[in-house]
Amino acid sequence: MTITTFKLNLGPQHPSTHGVLRLVLELEGEKILSCEPDIGYLHRGMEKMAERISYIQYLPTVDRIDYLAGCFYSELLCRIVENALGVELPDKVRAIRVMLLELNRIASHLLWVGAFLMDLGAVSPFFYAFREREMILRYFEKLTGQRMMYNYFVFGGVRKDIDYLGDVEEIISILPEKIDDYEKIITENPIFLRRTKGKGMLDIDTALNYAVTGVNLRASGMDYDTRRSDYLYRGFDFGVVILDEGDAWARYKARIMEMRESVNIIHQALEYLKISPALEQKLINPVNLKLPAGDYYAEIEAPRGLASCFVRSTGEDKPYRLKWRTGSYYSVNLLRKILVGEYLNDAIAIAGSLDIILPEVDK
Amino acid sequence: MDWSEFLRIFNDCELDGNKIIIKSKLREVINFVIANYTYNMLKEIIANDKGEGKTELIYHFYSTDDEEDMFISITVDGEVESIADIFKSAAADENEIYDLFGVKFIGNENLKRLYMPEDWKGFPLRKDYIQDDTRLAWNDDNNV
Repeated sequence: MTITTFKLNLGPQHPSTHGVLRLVLELEGEKILSCEPDIGYLHRGMEKMAERISYIQYLPTVDRIDYLAGCFYSELLCRIVENALGVELPDKVRAIRVMLLELNRIASHLLWVGAFLMDLGAVSPFFYAFREREMILRYFEKLTGQRMMYNYFVFGGVRKDIDYLGDVEEIISILPEKIDDYEKIITENPIFLRRTKGKGMLDIDTALNYAVTGVNLRASGMDYDTRRSDYLYRGFDFGVVILDEGDAWARYKARIMEMRESVNIIHQALEYLKISPALEQKLINPVNLKLPAGDYYAEIEAPRGLASCFVRSTGEDKPYRLKWRTGSYYSVNLLRKILVGEYLNDAIAIAGSLDIILPEVDK
Repeated sequence: MDWSEFLRIFNDCELDGNKIIIKSKLREVINFVIANYTYNMLKEIIANDKGEGKTELIYHFYSTDDEEDMFISITVDGEVESIADIFKSAAADENEIYDLFGVKFIGNENLKRLYMPEDWKGFPLRKDYIQDDTRLAWNDDNNV
């Protein structure tokens, strides 16, 4: 008997690839021998675009780098400009930004929970997760006029004062019990356990070698969260979720626990915002904005791992070079390693558990 | 971090804050750094076009033990040694830089067009890339 291997295209139109990711799998029966990700279907030239337009023209586009967590990329670009010009943010602006970032993180994780369970064949959690996500998106729509591309953070502050705090209060009072509900349905579900426990094992050394960050790294037991040293989160009291298992189940559990931590952070921001006076901020005039010549670097803990921005300025009104680092890009690279030796039906569960989003990969 | 030992061995390097500017021997430097310091993660490789075919590569390292960032900068002339066997994440970065800047990484077998189509001509993030020139895109060689 001869053993034949063959190649299988997973994607780019497969629904569980969350966008347009093509994986060329080499199979022997159902066993995966090698995996070659093919990306670039969503490339929009984000970095090249930055070199041709001014900073304020570029600001609305950066939400689209990760359309599920746009706030984080706005924050990065604002931070670059603020650091370069030495602008200190008022406490109220910090609290507003933290609250919106964490709401955005919850919305992103909720979508992931729904989509991940959908990948595994469970349809109902998708609707539950979207029901709660809808509350957050409605709030964002009320506040910023947009459901996903907020463009709310501007250089030196936020576009307008925070409002509709009652909605946020309602969201965070409902969310913990809803998360309990998800956990009742999913966490100890025997089918879910069989499909995720021990699947897609990722140890710390491999994760660091592949530069995987964010929840995927913390679910492998590494204590690394840039929110701790982030000046925006100064004064907030929160825990960092670290699990030791390193399998797909741990990555699910870590995201669920992280949502609870985010609710906790929003609570603190909300308490502060309720008693704080009207917003007073000094916005940076974006017209003819020039950064002093030099290199600038900023990073933030985005839902899909460490996101960072590098800007080299030559003193003109456009960056000479702007580079984004996104978490998903390295998670996709990890698929080359993590899928080898697994079975085809687990490939969906493992790739889904890494929370990859393709606009972030292709930039 | 104490860099005096490093600067003694690689005496043509410059230290500028947490950035080391080297001229050559990239692999030797990186092997030395990971053997003697606690850097265990290559966060990213940043490429900058310096004009005249030269590209500056900035290797961004991070130590999870000491919570410190460190940058190694090298200016190369079209090609450089790959470090994809030391840090697997470098394979992804090198491929991206090959696609957008045209820098060849010797020793990395998997370099291919990533974002750009396979028959695309030119490297878009270079400063001499001609925008709006139809010769660069999709066309056959007769039009060049």
